[in-house]
Amino acid sequence: MKNRQVDRVSRRDCLQLGLTGLLAGGLAGGLRARQTATANTTDRQADACILIWMDGGPSHYETFDPKPEAPLEIRGQFRSLPTKTPGVHFSQLMTSLSRISNKLAVVRSICHNQGNHGAGNHYMMTGAPPRIPVGCGAYVSFHPSLGSVAAKLLGAPHGIPPYFSLPRMSRSGGPNFLGAKYAPFVVSDDPNSKSFRVPDVTLPASIAEGRFSDRQQLRREVDRLQRLAHAAAGDPVAAVDEFYQQGLQLITSPEAQAAFDIHREPDSVRERYGRHPFGQRALLARRLVAAGVPFITLYEGGWDHHENLFDRFEEKVPRFESTVAALIEDLDAQGMLERTLVVALGEFGRTPKINARGGRDHWSNAMSVLFAGGGTPGGLVVGATDRQGYAPVERILAPENFVSTVYRKLGIDPGQILYTPEGRPTHLVSDATPIAELMA
Amino acid sequence: MRLVRPSSCAATVLRPSWFFLLPLFLLTSVLTAADSAAGPAAPAGRVVTSEVPSFELDIQPILTKAGCNTGPCHGKQRGQNGFQLSLLGFDSDFDYQQIIEGGRGRRVFPGSPDSSLLLQKAVAAVPHGGGKRFDIDSPFYQQLRQWIAAGAPRRRPNEPRLVGIRLAQGQFILAAGETARLRVEAEYDDGSRRDVTHLADYLSNDAVVVAVDEHGKLIAGPLPGETAVMARFRNQIDVAQVVIPFRTRQDPEVYNALPRNNFIDELVLAKMQRAGVSPSPPAPDHVFLRRVYQDLIGRNPSVEEARRFLSDPSQDKKQRLIDDLLERPEYAEYWANQWADLLRPNPYRVGIKAVLNYDQWIRQQFRDDVPYDEFVRRLITARGSTWRNGAVTLFRDRRSADEQATLVSQLFLGIRLECAKCHHHPFERWSQTDFYQFAAFFADVGYKGTGLSPPISGGEEIVVVRRGGKVQHPRTGETLVARPLFGPMTGDRSATASSEEGDLRERLWEWMTDAANPYFAQVHANRLWAALMQRGLVEPVDDLRATNPPSNPELLAALGDYLREHDFRQKELLRAIAASQVYSLSSAPTTDNIADRINYSRHYRHRLRGEVLLDAIADFTETPHRFSGMPEGSRATEIWTHRIGSQFLDTFGRPDANQDPPCERSGESTVRQTLHLMNSPEIDQRTRASGGRAARLAASPLSEEAIVEDLYLAAFSRFPTPEEQSNGVQWIRRAGDRRREAIEDLMWALLNAPEFFIQN
Repeated sequence: MKNRQVDRVSRRDCLQLGLTGLLAGGLAGGLRARQTATANTTDRQADACILIWMDGGPSHYETFDPKPEAPLEIRGQFRSLPTKTPGVHFSQLMTSLSRISNKLAVVRSICHNQGNHGAGNHYMMTGAPPRIPVGCGAYVSFHPSLGSVAAKLLGAPHGIPPYFSLPRMSRSGGPNFLGAKYAPFVVSDDPNSKSFRVPDVTLPASIAEGRFSDRQQLRREVDRLQRLAHAAAGDPVAAVDEFYQQGLQLITSPEAQAAFDIHREPDSVRERYGRHPFGQRALLARRLVAAGVPFITLYEGGWDHHENLFDRFEEKVPRFESTVAALIEDLDAQGMLERTLVVALGEFGRTPKINARGGRDHWSNAMSVLFAGGGTPGGLVVGATDRQGYAPVERILAPENFVSTVYRKLGIDPGQILYTPEGRPTHLVSDATPIAELMA
Repeated sequence: MRLVRPSSCAATVLRPSWFFLLPLFLLTSVLTAADSAAGPAAPAGRVVTSEVPSFELDIQPILTKAGCNTGPCHGKQRGQNGFQLSLLGFDSDFDYQQIIEGGRGRRVFPGSPDSSLLLQKAVAAVPHGGGKRFDIDSPFYQQLRQWIAAGAPRRRPNEPRLVGIRLAQGQFILAAGETARLRVEAEYDDGSRRDVTHLADYLSNDAVVVAVDEHGKLIAGPLPGETAVMARFRNQIDVAQVVIPFRTRQDPEVYNALPRNNFIDELVLAKMQRAGVSPSPPAPDHVFLRRVYQDLIGRNPSVEEARRFLSDPSQDKKQRLIDDLLERPEYAEYWANQWADLLRPNPYRVGIKAVLNYDQWIRQQFRDDVPYDEFVRRLITARGSTWRNGAVTLFRDRRSADEQATLVSQLFLGIRLECAKCHHHPFERWSQTDFYQFAAFFADVGYKGTGLSPPISGGEEIVVVRRGGKVQHPRTGETLVARPLFGPMTGDRSATASSEEGDLRERLWEWMTDAANPYFAQVHANRLWAALMQRGLVEPVDDLRATNPPSNPELLAALGDYLREHDFRQKELLRAIAASQVYSLSSAPTTDNIADRINYSRHYRHRLRGEVLLDAIADFTETPHRFSGMPEGSRATEIWTHRIGSQFLDTFGRPDANQDPPCERSGESTVRQTLHLMNSPEIDQRTRASGGRAARLAASPLSEEAIVEDLYLAAFSRFPTPEEQSNGVQWIRRAGDRRREAIEDLMWALLNAPEFFIQN
């Protein structure tokens, strides 16, 4: 019986329906003519991107754009801190990052018009403003995210998912019309824990490999659910099929298993990243890059400081920023920084005037974004906000420019056109101009 | 190549339904309270040029249309280069003062209008960051100039007020690539009307389906689809729905010949006909069986139940099954579990005891089959001890009037007010004043006893109503009187409510459930529809914005009416939906409905909800759950807090109430889920459990044929095909004395197949 099964192609029906009714219009030609989206390896500057997502929207004042000349109610209670780069100051708590400012570029002049979390997340994560108004709590997706596009166009070595998001997906970090295959692989487990391992990527101890392959055969045999072949049908079974293949590859990939095994790192390295979940996730991200993963989002929430901003920063930021610095330095020491882009940002900046509760509210008119590696020149500041930090006055840049920069560095043409499953053409980024200073 | 449209049918089709007119009705009722002295009315359609232009009626619309007061320009907080206007001109007094008094008085010179900075900048006669907005010889310039020359008055005597706008045509059916024009008419409180098409702004909800330009020209995209297009003039909006049908030539007989079980089928088929899609054939009995079990009571049929239904030859077996299921005890647990998603408070804030009481309270309402309106009444007027009345946990969790108001309006009216806490939302009709007047219904909620003291919050708290509570406008500090979002109060028809007549929340409930308020019934009807049909008529299901119109307005209205006519007994609406033809359609598409994902022309497949799937696995493997703090054998739908650990449920998505803001439940599939079913120790142990189904069947004297039949009925709620049967039998026989292992492997394969965890 077994041999008979091996020879047999999958038994389930596949409903092959054309879109005859649908494509009576002018799109049939467009569909036929459509080109496969591509990445270009020749002017690619980075093989991978680690995106540190500071969910909630970090204050630009208390990170990379201090305004010591502004009145107290705007500049706040932190001092500005000279960095290794002459003339460039960060805010008081950014001590480790200021010491390696020669490896960093800070863009201070990105602004947009989406002042709530749902919309701001979407704009920065995808480069496209939400199509219709969305609320603060919204988790919306109208366009593929940076990570999903990178996953599709860059891929990863056999068996390893091309896009990770740790410990959770960011709100708009999904694939949208690219399909479930390019959704992030989420590792929610805490790599700082002694018992950390990525769950379910190894066979249960009781199941020998031979028995497992019998089971695969058997599953093929019993799986008769008809597939709806056309992507426009939105069949969830199509996603399941993708995931089943990905899952099989993952459990049979020694490279993936090794990348997940953070316990192989010496204690000294683990200490340097910080013995806390974010620190160890950053280390795991470095291991994933080394294994060939092109895009990793490190989601680190808790930046929505509507109240007690300064106390909360003192609790949160020293750990956070020393981990970011450790990551960049370690990548550099391993010779990986040159080909690994690290960016850190949130959805927007924060209001100039400190509110009555000692916090700052949402402010999309100005934000700072940190860049390092992947051919980014160090010791650089791009753009400037006005003397009180309200809005950019030099090199006014948009989320589109940010996203285009990341794409360009990864060798992805941000000006290319992608097609939805229905065949609708969609620009990857509406303004495909990267930030020239960062492209060196 | 273009789709051909039947020649005589112009781009029009239907008048806007009442739903689209609702916003107008709402605003009318709010605004008529203002001065209604009728001035010299402009005849309809005529642009008034002889009169002095009015600041609010003429000048501000120009500033908006020219883009002066948008977010990136002078409309942003702090303005642009020292000149600030309110965002999109919602604050006329502020804007007037900025123009007249700001800029050291240089913005308007009545003595020499052309030297006014306002005009000089607009035509870029002096350097202007925003560039040239219009020409000197444009009508915009002439009107502004005329107004300045007349001394830039704030108001004309007896000036009418804008009460609404209306699109001349509210529904369009266009061929791919076709264009059409929107026409917008403004209505004033003196009865006059005016064409403001050239002054309105336009926004398409999905520009790749249908785009709209600044003149209101609709441009249909190249593919079938539908979307809504909004027109905005001042603080008024109206919405057009535009459909690009899949097929334009569809024989009406095709639709007329289709069977109809009730009003739902009529309305769904009418929409399908408009959209040019035809329905798939009915699903086979076993597919219906599994679907209706999962949707009504959140579990699969047992082997015996499946066998009985599938072998029953009677005509009315579906209807009898629906009636039976609605009386099963699992009904209450399943629907309570869904409501718990919406209401579940953060245990770290409110304390675990309050969470348990709240959950038990919700479950009891469903066990007692309390009508929906009464359920809401008990909840939003709750008072008493958190240790005695679970419903008051709502007020323990949401502690201020504004938090309570946003929750209540979103859940029970489908109106999202969050934006209006801080500003007049540009895409909605609610102002800050509207919001805080609504919040004032909760002004008298007070607390006694132990408040929140995270992380423990264990003490008892008592929610009381004490007269004299205050809700203030955050900007003006004015104390606001409770006032409904639209329309008068129920009963005495007064505009506002006073706490002298008792608990203001009772008055709010009366207004919410008044027959004149369609939102209350519709948001719940939409939620129930979405639970069975996998997609709301409005999505998100609790976002009934005028700018987010339903895909089938007539159906939503009818479902809401049905719920109300049946005294808000949820089971009656569920019964009607489950009994409709459309509910039992096959998921397999036809050539012309394969891309349809909004007209219900076929059943939309989806992955089972985490709790339902986990219970299905327990039933299939015959291994009871062991949840911490719950009796063995409890079902996943009975879990009362997310603090009861389950790696399975975490992997398959459940909203985590500990997160702030709480995460929404995700129904997406992920590779982690696939891996969990394949490899997790939990699934492995359940499949191989010594007390489980595999062990029982292996030890039984049952023939291999009977075993395979049992497994297929248990896993897929159907008999195996002859081929499946013989393959399974061979597999088990071949294993010889490893019969149990072979059955385990077969079970593993069945529960890892999509037919097990995807509803077909």
